[in-house]
Amino acid sequence: MERVVQQTDYDALSCRISAIYKGYLPSPCYQLAKCGYMGYKEIHMDYINGLKHVSRRIHGKVTRTLQSSYPVMNYGTYLRTVSIDLELNGILSKIGKDQRVQILDLGGGSDLRMVPLLRNYPNLKFVDVDYSESTKVKSKALWETQGLREFLKLQEPQGDQLVRSDRYELISCDLNDLNQTSVKLDKVTDADVPTIIITECVLCYMTQDASQKLIEYLINHYKSGHWVSYDPIGGSSENDRFGTIMQANLRDSRNLEMPTLMIFNSKEKYANRFAPLQTSIQDMWELFNKIPQDEIKRLKSLQFLDELEELKVMQTHYVFCKSQWGNV
Amino acid sequence: MFDLDRIISLLRQGRHIAEETVYTLCLLSQELLMNESNVTHVNTPVTICGDIHGQLHDLLTLFEKSGGIEKSRYIFLGDFVDRGFYSLESFLLLLCYKLRYPDRITLIRGNHETRQITKVYGFYDEIMRKYGNSNVWRYCCEVFDYLSLGAIVNQSVFCVHGGLSPDVMTIDEIRSVDRKQEVPHEGAMCDLLWSDPDDVDTWSLSPRGAGFLFGGQQVQEFLSRNGVDLIARAHQLVMEGYKEMFDNGLVTVWSAPNYCYRCGNVAAVLRIDDDLSRSYTIFEAVQPQNDVGNTILPTRKPQMDYFL
Repeated sequence: MERVVQQTDYDALSCRISAIYKGYLPSPCYQLAKCGYMGYKEIHMDYINGLKHVSRRIHGKVTRTLQSSYPVMNYGTYLRTVSIDLELNGILSKIGKDQRVQILDLGGGSDLRMVPLLRNYPNLKFVDVDYSESTKVKSKALWETQGLREFLKLQEPQGDQLVRSDRYELISCDLNDLNQTSVKLDKVTDADVPTIIITECVLCYMTQDASQKLIEYLINHYKSGHWVSYDPIGGSSENDRFGTIMQANLRDSRNLEMPTLMIFNSKEKYANRFAPLQTSIQDMWELFNKIPQDEIKRLKSLQFLDELEELKVMQTHYVFCKSQWGNV
Repeated sequence: MFDLDRIISLLRQGRHIAEETVYTLCLLSQELLMNESNVTHVNTPVTICGDIHGQLHDLLTLFEKSGGIEKSRYIFLGDFVDRGFYSLESFLLLLCYKLRYPDRITLIRGNHETRQITKVYGFYDEIMRKYGNSNVWRYCCEVFDYLSLGAIVNQSVFCVHGGLSPDVMTIDEIRSVDRKQEVPHEGAMCDLLWSDPDDVDTWSLSPRGAGFLFGGQQVQEFLSRNGVDLIARAHQLVMEGYKEMFDNGLVTVWSAPNYCYRCGNVAAVLRIDDDLSRSYTIFEAVQPQNDVGNTILPTRKPQMDYFL
């Protein structure tokens, strides 16, 4: 199961690379104007090149569907990426550039958000946490990419070690193992510093018990913070079969399980995972409908989106959830 | 030799069809379709079917649940290809039925029956995967150019893929459109294939970027001007399989169950009887594990169709 879940990282990366290749990302009005993400495309292309040196197999997997990516997938990737980026930058700019702050990107795999964020926020420390198979690949790929290696001021890893720097850490651990996770996080984070936790398609692969224990531990351990989460929900209305079909499809095609898809199957139930924190949640279709007309026009010019019905069915089954605790 | 019944049997099993055979099929189909008018007359009783989108096994279910081509008359409202894994087999099966039973099946063009759209939405890629070159795709696209734009059942039900156009007020005006071309980006032919009904007061811009949104008033005017009772169209996913609007003056029929193998919707077909009464048949997607006969099943599941 661990490998099956770990491999989903390559799907996410592949989707992001497709969205960049087709021009959906970076979004000029969001990621460039509001988040100040410079060189977004170059960062990703450099990383993909680095990845090629690490594993041709993974590189092939990630770039295979580049030419023929469906608009509906690119829209969804755009929505999840931009929503999280906007929220992170909103929180960070509110905390201020002078304050110490730390981000824990749990199960983020090949996510490269740390690059623009570390550049823009000089007192930020960024911690990537994932399975060792994932962190090993990422460590090597970052080291192979001269631009990223130099920018992140990575120290040369010795033996089995992973790359690291004063402000960037890669941690190998299984988030289902709370003891291991807490011990490893303790070594590189400070419980008194404001903490932002990202779980982007991560909680959905964990059991109810393991995920709730993880949430409970982290929001109690860190004195103050924000939790930003993106996940699918199975759907709760009587005739809604999206979730059960999704579970069956993923089980049949790749033996992938989503144990809580039908448990936290509505926005309300999903948000309740973070009780008693102050939490707000929206589905991605609601977020799609808030995009300004100029940006919609730009997206439409990239690829012809033939219908909205399918996009709606899919995006009403993914949620963006944000919670807050302590004094931040 | 060219044996239509044998090809039909192969197609129903999802088996490979030689490039030469496809070429011949497409040529014969063009000759047949060429003589049809833009809006074909069809008699009752008839079964009206919505989008198929390459879901061959669900198309076979559709025929099974609605009497079958041997016994009943059919109108297909277009969107035979793209999205599903068996666009070619689905389209060719319908062409074979058309050749075998010309007066029992009417094929109307959908917005996916174009070169531009099939390049993005799967049919082109499917042909490249199955044949290693694009010849078969080109043969099929040439047939697309000859498909009808609409049909009229007993002077009473107007059938079209998308909807109405501000450029054509009467069915006679549709008859004078030059249809034998790639679907243009604007104008009557484009609108008929792309427009959607919506809760609007007048012709409005479509969020799809092609065609228009039209409301109850436009529908009532079209119905009374042309002396018809109903507009039957497809084009939009309806989770319940069909949806009547505007005092039952328009219906959307959707015939691809569990669209894209993940939407979870049911499908429907609409039967119009001699007394012009309407009855809907609802059907569900074929269960992949339910191995009936020797039909092959969608084994090649897509890898990238969820956000993971």
